[in-house]
Amino acid sequence: MKRSRDKAASELFAALYPRLAGWCRRLVDDDETAHEIASEAFTRLWARWTSVQEPRGFLYVTAANLVRDHWRGLERERKAMRRVTSEAAVSPHTEQADPSVRLLVQSLPERLRVPILLHYYADMPIREVSVLTGRKEGTVKADLHAARELLRAHLRRSLDHTR
Amino acid sequence: MTTRADDRPEFDPDDPIAVILRPTSDLLGPPPRRYEAIRRTAARRRLLRAAAGVGLSCAALALVALPFHLATTSDGPASPATPLAPPSATHPSPDPDPAPRPGGTATPESSPTPSARVPETVPTPRAPSVPGQAPDERTPLRDGSAPGPDTPLRQ
Repeated sequence: MKRSRDKAASELFAALYPRLAGWCRRLVDDDETAHEIASEAFTRLWARWTSVQEPRGFLYVTAANLVRDHWRGLERERKAMRRVTSEAAVSPHTEQADPSVRLLVQSLPERLRVPILLHYYADMPIREVSVLTGRKEGTVKADLHAARELLRAHLRRSLDHTR
Repeated sequence: MTTRADDRPEFDPDDPIAVILRPTSDLLGPPPRRYEAIRRTAARRRLLRAAAGVGLSCAALALVALPFHLATTSDGPASPATPLAPPSATHPSPDPDPAPRPGGTATPESSPTPSARVPETVPTPRAPSVPGQAPDERTPLRDGSAPGPDTPLRQ
């Protein structure tokens, strides 16, 4: 029993860790932070291994929340630095993360972010997303549609700013 | 990442949203021994969670059981005892108040209770003596020496 569980955990790790860590690296600044976030997501998964129905979705949603926390921490740090030192002395923070994915996680409310993450990044069909989130399939489709529209609007705005 | 044409909504290839939602192609392999470290940490957290759960259960159980325990051990307010009735005034008291009579001498010392008397002298052990004779009546020997235990006394 324990051996089979260990084997399943090992296989899941081998299959999902590189992709999850790669996805995290697009969102955060460095490899080390990406590893930390992916590791923490796996730790939380295995700490409640028996109660998680869909580990893939759990990992992505947990990682997205951790990334959001990381950004908040960075923002707090930046504000504190700005308060301590003069504003001119601080160079603007270079955005190394992929702005498009960052936009995805940052601009969407959790209700819309979770279906997007599960469907597009965790590669789950709408039926599974519906089971996992406890929403009807039609609701999930509507959420995905709303999320795409929201992203489109955000993207259009950010493109207008850069021109 | 597989693509499900039936699930995925139609995307125009030029749609900027397709860029955002493109499959993740970046892969970042785990550092060496990362798997073992994660498993260890997860096991520790499981243990901590279990311990916290047991502790909380015990605390809840104690909180539930404590009122019952207190209710059973304490007898509650003591039931009032029936007060003793005072002696009725119609019957004469069999033992009148021993007021001192004028002229009479009260001799409380004359009838002491034996149990109340404390012996004034503590009896000391006595040396072995000849039966029938008190030790203080022992007659000294003519040579002035005290008689030994085996020395016959001269009358």
